[in-house]
Amino acid sequence: MNRYFFRVRMVPYLFILPFILTFLVIYSYPIIHSVVMSFQEIVPGETRFIGLNNYLLLKDPRFHKALWNSLRYTFWTLAILIPFPILLAVMLNAPDQKGRTAFRSIFFVPSLVSVVVAGTVLRLIFAGSERGMANQIVAALGLPIHDWRLEGPGLAMFLLVLLATWRWLGVNIVYFLAGLQNIPMELYEASRIDGANRFQQFRRITLPLLKPTIVFVVTISIFGGFAMFEESYIFWQANSPNSIGLTIVGYLWRKGFQQGELGAAAAIGVVLLFIILAFNMTSLKLFGFGKED
Amino acid sequence: MLRRPFIERILRTLFLLIIAVIILIPLYSLLLASLRPSRDLLRFGITLQTLSPKGLELSNFIYLFTGERVYYGYWFRNSVYITALQTVVSCFLSSAVAYGLSVYRFKGRKTALGAVLFLLMVPLQILILPLYKLMIGLHFMNTVFGVILPFAVSPFAVFFFYQYLRGVSRDFIDAGRVDGVGEFGIFLRIIMPIMKPALGAMVIFQSLQAWNSYLWPLIVLRDNLKFTIPIGLNSLLTPYGNNYDVLISGAVVATVPIIIVFVFFQKYFIAGLSAGGVKG
Amino acid sequence: MKRFLYGIAALFLLIAVVGCGNKEKEAAAEEKGPVTLSLWSFQEIHVKYFQDAVGRWNAENPDRQITLDAQVYPYDDMHNKLLLALQSGSGAPDIVDIELGKYPLFLKGTPQLVPMNEYVEPEASQFIMSRFDIYSKDGKYYGVPFHVGASVIYYNTEILNAAGVDYKSIKTWDDYVKAGKKVKAATGKPMVTVESTDVWSVWPILSQSGGDFFDENGKCVVDNAHNTEVFQFLYDMVWDSKIAIASPGGFHHSEEYYGFMNGGGAASIWMPMWYMGRFTDYMPDLKGKIVVAPMPEWPGGFKSAGMGGTGTSITNQCKNLKLAQDFLYSAKMSKEANVKLWEELGFDPPRWDVWDDPRMNAPNKFTDYFENENIFGMLLAVKDSMNGVRITENLPRIHEQIKTTINPQLILEGNPDVHGVLATAAADVNR
Repeated sequence: MNRYFFRVRMVPYLFILPFILTFLVIYSYPIIHSVVMSFQEIVPGETRFIGLNNYLLLKDPRFHKALWNSLRYTFWTLAILIPFPILLAVMLNAPDQKGRTAFRSIFFVPSLVSVVVAGTVLRLIFAGSERGMANQIVAALGLPIHDWRLEGPGLAMFLLVLLATWRWLGVNIVYFLAGLQNIPMELYEASRIDGANRFQQFRRITLPLLKPTIVFVVTISIFGGFAMFEESYIFWQANSPNSIGLTIVGYLWRKGFQQGELGAAAAIGVVLLFIILAFNMTSLKLFGFGKED
Repeated sequence: MLRRPFIERILRTLFLLIIAVIILIPLYSLLLASLRPSRDLLRFGITLQTLSPKGLELSNFIYLFTGERVYYGYWFRNSVYITALQTVVSCFLSSAVAYGLSVYRFKGRKTALGAVLFLLMVPLQILILPLYKLMIGLHFMNTVFGVILPFAVSPFAVFFFYQYLRGVSRDFIDAGRVDGVGEFGIFLRIIMPIMKPALGAMVIFQSLQAWNSYLWPLIVLRDNLKFTIPIGLNSLLTPYGNNYDVLISGAVVATVPIIIVFVFFQKYFIAGLSAGGVKG
Repeated sequence: MKRFLYGIAALFLLIAVVGCGNKEKEAAAEEKGPVTLSLWSFQEIHVKYFQDAVGRWNAENPDRQITLDAQVYPYDDMHNKLLLALQSGSGAPDIVDIELGKYPLFLKGTPQLVPMNEYVEPEASQFIMSRFDIYSKDGKYYGVPFHVGASVIYYNTEILNAAGVDYKSIKTWDDYVKAGKKVKAATGKPMVTVESTDVWSVWPILSQSGGDFFDENGKCVVDNAHNTEVFQFLYDMVWDSKIAIASPGGFHHSEEYYGFMNGGGAASIWMPMWYMGRFTDYMPDLKGKIVVAPMPEWPGGFKSAGMGGTGTSITNQCKNLKLAQDFLYSAKMSKEANVKLWEELGFDPPRWDVWDDPRMNAPNKFTDYFENENIFGMLLAVKDSMNGVRITENLPRIHEQIKTTINPQLILEGNPDVHGVLATAAADVNR
C-alpha cells in the first residue's frame, strides 16, 4: 500500500518534471525581464525607467490599425481554417478514397516552402500588371484586373487569408486526421443500424468526439492569428502602403528592430500577450475546458 | 467497410482534385522556376504561358551542392540534425508531460496545466533579448543544444497530446496496473502505442516547426557553416540584389526531407488503431 | 511501437548520410600566430572582398598576420543580432558592416562603436566626405563607406531614339519633363517610374535639389516649402503631365519591376550607381541600350547626391583594436582598396583620386553592358557638386512615413493635398 501511495504521489511530478524545469529555468526569467523592459527606455549604452511611457503607444493610430488587421485576420482564419480542414480530413479519412496519401501530401507541402521564396513566387503571381497570372485568370473570367498587393485593405486581407489557407490547410488536416483516429468505428456502425444518416452521424459522433482536437486547433489558431507576421512579410516585407498589411507583431518588429526602441517593442509584446490570453481564456471557457475533469 | 455510391466517390474525388490543383499552382511555378535560370523568372514573371515546361535544366540543383562558397550541403545537414533531435526529444518529453497531466490527479496539476497554456501563448518575439542574455550566461551560444533547449518541451505538443489523451479510456491504465506493470511501463508500452496517430501528427508538426524555425536558431548560431536552411536561404537576400538561383532551387530541395517524414508518418492515421479506446 | 521508433531513427540517419555526401569545405585551419578578427556582414560578396583584402594584408605585413573569421547573416537579422550583442555587451564581432538605413539605430545614445578619425582626417580631401558624415556623430567617424552611391540617371536610348530625344540635351528637370512628354506622345511609354512604397525615387532628387528630410537640429522638415516642391514635382509627373507611372510592384527592387523594365517598360530611371548591378543581373535584354548619365539639374541645386551605402565599423568589443583599424584602412580606405572596390564589387569608390586611374576604365561586365565610353569620366564631372544627407535617429521614422503613408497617398492614390500629407507625416516624426 505504501509503495502504491508513493508512486501515485511522486510519479506525476516525475512525468511533468521536464516541463517544470523548462518553465523555471528557460522561460520564467525572460518573461519577467521583458515585462520589466516594457517600462524602460533602452538605447545603446543607456537604460532607464520611464514608467508607463512605452504604453502610450496604445494610442498610436498605427497600433489601432495593426490591432484591427490582426483581429480581422484571426477571425477569417478561424472561420475558414477550422471547418474546411475538418471536412477535408473526414474525406481523406474515408478508406474508399482513392489517392489519399497523395492528396494529404499535396495539401501539406505548402507549409514547407521557405517564406522568402513563397514571397517571390506569390508576389509574381499577384503582380499588378495584366501579365501576372492572377490577373490573366480574372481577365479570362471577364472580371476587372487588380493591383492585388497595393490596391487597398480589402484585397490585402483577401491575400493574407488566401495565403494562410494555402500554407496551413494541410497542417490543420493533419491534426484532425489524428483526432479522427480516436473515434471508434463501432459507434458509426451502431448509429447506422439505428437509422442515422451521414449528416446526423457527423453531428452526433464526429463533431463531439473531435471536440478536444477542435479546442486545440482553435487555441493555436487564435495564437497564430494574433501573432501573425510572416504572411504579411511575404507580400509586403515590413512596410505596406497605408499599413494595409501591418499586424501587431509587424508593429512590434518595426518599433523594436527598425527603430531600435526595444522597450516600446516589449510593451507591445506584453499587450499582445494579454490580448491572446483574453481571447483564448474566453474561448476555452466557452468550450467548457477544464470543467469535466 | 461500407462503400459509398460510385457517383458520390467521383464527386468527392473531383472536389479534392480541384483544391489540389489550386494548391499546386504556386508549387508548380516554383518547381519550374528552379529548373530555369532565375533571370527568366524575373524577365517573364509567372504567367499562364510560363507554366509550360520548356528549356528546363538541372544546373541550379547541381550548383547547390558544388558551387563555390555555397554552403547548402552544410545547411542541409545541420537542418536534418537539429530537426531530428528536436522532434524526437520534444515528442517524447511532451507526451510524457501530457500523460502526467491527464492521467494523474495531483496537487498543482491545474497550475501546471495553466502554465502550459500560458507558455503556449507567449510570442517568442518578446523574449528574444532576455533569452539571448540567458543563453550567453549559460554558454549555449553557437551550439545545437542552445537551439533545441527552449523547445525541448513544446507546450503545443503537450496541449495536443493532453487533448488527445482525454479521449482515451482509463481502462487500459487500470488493466496495466492490475497486471503489475510499472507507471513508466504503462506509459511506454500501453499508452504510447495508443497515441500513435497523435504521435504521428506531432512528429510531422514538430519536424515542420523545427525545419522552418528561423528566429531562434539565427540568434543562437554564429558560424555560417552551422546555419540551417532557412537562415542560409535568407542570407542570400540583400539590399543589393538577391541570389535567386540558389534561393529557389534551395527552397525546392528543402521541402523533400519533410515530405518523406510526412508520407512515412501519415500512415499512422489509420482508423481503428485505438478502437474501443474511448471513454464510455 | 519499436518499428515506429526505428522508423524515425532510420529516416533521419538516411537523410543525414545523404546530406554528409557533400564535399567538405572546412574553413582555413587555425594556426598559432595570426590574430583572428571576426567580421559580420549581410552581403556574401562583401565577405569575399574582405577575404581578398586579408590576403593582400598578410602579404604586406608578415609580422602582423590576420585570420578572418567572417560570417554572413540575413540582412535584417544581422542588424538585429548586432543590436542584441551590443545591448547585452557580449557576442559582437570585431568588425561589422552596418547598412545606412540601420545606422541610426547604432548612433543612438552612446554609440558602442570605435571612431576612425585618426585614419579619416589626414586624407579627408581625397574622400567624398559626405559619405563619412553619414556614419558620424558629434564629429566622430564610426563607419567606412563602400561607395559614393552617386545618384545617376539610366536612360533607355532605344526608347529615347524612337521618340527623337537625345539624352545629352537633357540638362535640367524642365528639359526632362519636356522630353518625357515627347516620349509619351511618340511611344506611349512612361518616361520614368516612381516608387510608391520605397524611398529611392524621392530621396535622390530631394537631396540633389539641396533639400533634406531634416534640418541642422535634426528636426523633420519634410513639409517645408522646398521639399514640398520636390514631392509636388513627383506628384505632377504621375498625375498631371502623366509622364511617370507608379513602379510596378511598388519599388525598384521588386521582382515584378525587373521584368517590366527589362521589357522596355519605361524610358529612364534614376537610382544610385550601385543599381548598375541590377541591370546587368536582372535585365539582360537591355544590354547595349542603357546609358548612365548625370541627373538633370535643379536651379541652384547639386549635380548629384550620394545615396544608400554600408559603413564598415569596429565595435567596442574588439580586443585587437589597432590591428582591426589598420586592417580596415588597408581594406577600404587605401588607394589600392578603392580601385578594388570597383574591380571586385562594381562600386563607385569613395576616394575620388582613383576615379581617373586607368584600371577604372578596364573592360568588365559593366563597361560591356552600358553604352558609356567612360563611366567614371562621367562621375568626375559631378564630384564637386555632390550633396550628402543628414542621418539622424529619426531617419527610420521618416522612411517609414514615406513607405507607408506619403508615397502611397501621393503616388498610388493621387491625394492632391501634397503639403497636407507631408505636414501630417512631419508632425508624426517629430512627436
